[in-house]
Amino acid sequence: MNNFTLVDGGIVGAYLLITMVAGVMVRKYVGKVEDFLLARREMDVYLGIASLAATEFGIVTCMYTAQNGFDKGFAGAVPGILTFLAMFLVGRTGFCIKPLRDSGVMTIPELFERKYGPRVRWASGVVIVLGGLLNMGVFLRIGGDFLVSVSGLDPKYLKVMMTALLVSVATYTILGGMLSVLITDFFQFIVMSAGLIITTFLILYKVGWSTLVDTVQTNYGEGGFNPFVNENMGWSYVIFNALLNTAAVLTWQTQIARVLAAKDSKTGRKVYTGTSFFFVARFLIPGIWGIAALALLTPQQVGGNSLMAMPKMLSIIVPPGIMGLLVAAMLAADMSTDSSYMLTWGSVIYNDIMAPFRKQKWSEKKGLFWNRTIIAVIGVFLLIYGLWYKIEGDLWTYLGITGTIYLSSMSVLLIACCYWKGANNWGATAAIIFGALVPAAILVLQKVGPLTNWFRKNDTSCGVATYIIVALGMIIGSLLKPQSQSPAKGNE
Amino acid sequence: MMTAIINTVATMLKHHWFWGAMTLACLVWYSTITIYIAIKGIGDIRNMLRKLSGSKNQ
Repeated sequence: MNNFTLVDGGIVGAYLLITMVAGVMVRKYVGKVEDFLLARREMDVYLGIASLAATEFGIVTCMYTAQNGFDKGFAGAVPGILTFLAMFLVGRTGFCIKPLRDSGVMTIPELFERKYGPRVRWASGVVIVLGGLLNMGVFLRIGGDFLVSVSGLDPKYLKVMMTALLVSVATYTILGGMLSVLITDFFQFIVMSAGLIITTFLILYKVGWSTLVDTVQTNYGEGGFNPFVNENMGWSYVIFNALLNTAAVLTWQTQIARVLAAKDSKTGRKVYTGTSFFFVARFLIPGIWGIAALALLTPQQVGGNSLMAMPKMLSIIVPPGIMGLLVAAMLAADMSTDSSYMLTWGSVIYNDIMAPFRKQKWSEKKGLFWNRTIIAVIGVFLLIYGLWYKIEGDLWTYLGITGTIYLSSMSVLLIACCYWKGANNWGATAAIIFGALVPAAILVLQKVGPLTNWFRKNDTSCGVATYIIVALGMIIGSLLKPQSQSPAKGNE
Repeated sequence: MMTAIINTVATMLKHHWFWGAMTLACLVWYSTITIYIAIKGIGDIRNMLRKLSGSKNQ
């Protein structure tokens, strides 16, 4: 059962057409690699806020935050509050992002080279791309599942839809780079926000606040409101998410790309403070949708898959007309995320992983060709990985673990790079090794071995341990390096 | 209509006021910022494209 009609199809079609035209039209302004990757650092505050918000809200975000609401109640929105606090404080103080933007680099690993040497830059690039692409690999399937469920499309068209969506996004991203991303993000932010706000008002009107609160109270008791007394959350969940989200604010390439594309560090900081509260909405709004699904759907309708509960609920209660706006909003959310992710991971591959191959300066034309080729290859990877990988368990936890592969080490490297004179390449190497090995080992141990249940149950404690181990790796590694090889005398 | 809205807001603040207040703040802030960004962002795009085309012509 669904309410997707011809009118809704028209709304979605009009949105897609406008976005594609706008995205492709700005390609004429791209003449250099810096134009392509950072829009020649001409991005101002309001465009930056729209772009950052649109990028950081995809269908996958909507799905896992709604799943959090369904499985944990209001307490599931706590990561959003933690991200808000982290981003607001970083924006206000300029912690790490000011020295990063002032340095004039294109990517974080480029800054690392100045402190830790070219090998650490290269290794950081590999870790960032590995963690980022594993993380992004699930976006397409989840997005397709959502659209099929909400619009009532035959599931056999899922792969065709996923491919068509990716090809259209890749087209304007390949042609216009960051410029296309910024322009389309702006339109996508408006469409996405209108859809999210109207749908939320509709749910509050149809379901009612008291019903939402009572549902959470009945299913989860006080733990549905307070994460510290929730048996599936507790202190380790809150601490892990505080670390994870602070690290993401500091080093997640798609967020940092907005700071690096900003006119100056002051603009970058304003973009952060201006966007910070959006992260509460990013978790709370879909969380409320998830709670509404818990209130309205029977266990048979949910079928044991809490991830798909929210789209099922929407397909039932959203009327024609608004359904078109909702699907357009979700497409907007997904396209803005996909385009920005492809561009920013591509920028790290080009700028850092391929750096050893560019000992002689490449022409702008050759640089642009390679950047565009890399984005196309990432698109192909996403199609393949997105089609065959099957997530087990909580989506947010999967994203957290894969993200931790690089967030833990890169955040420690960045903080040490900006504020610790004693940090060196030994410490950086140790931090990178531990940051990649520990989360990867946890991911494996959750699937095989005698302690799979323990590792699944204590995933957030393992996440906290990763950050501690990585920080210790940096400190001990740096202190172990003999003085004769101190930074002053060369890092390599 | 106005009474219904006031009643809803009062209910939200009465039942688990923290999450009620947080939800209201989200909806008010998000609605406002969307309109504000939609207006001001156009100016940012114009300025950005003007600078880019200006420097390209040079």
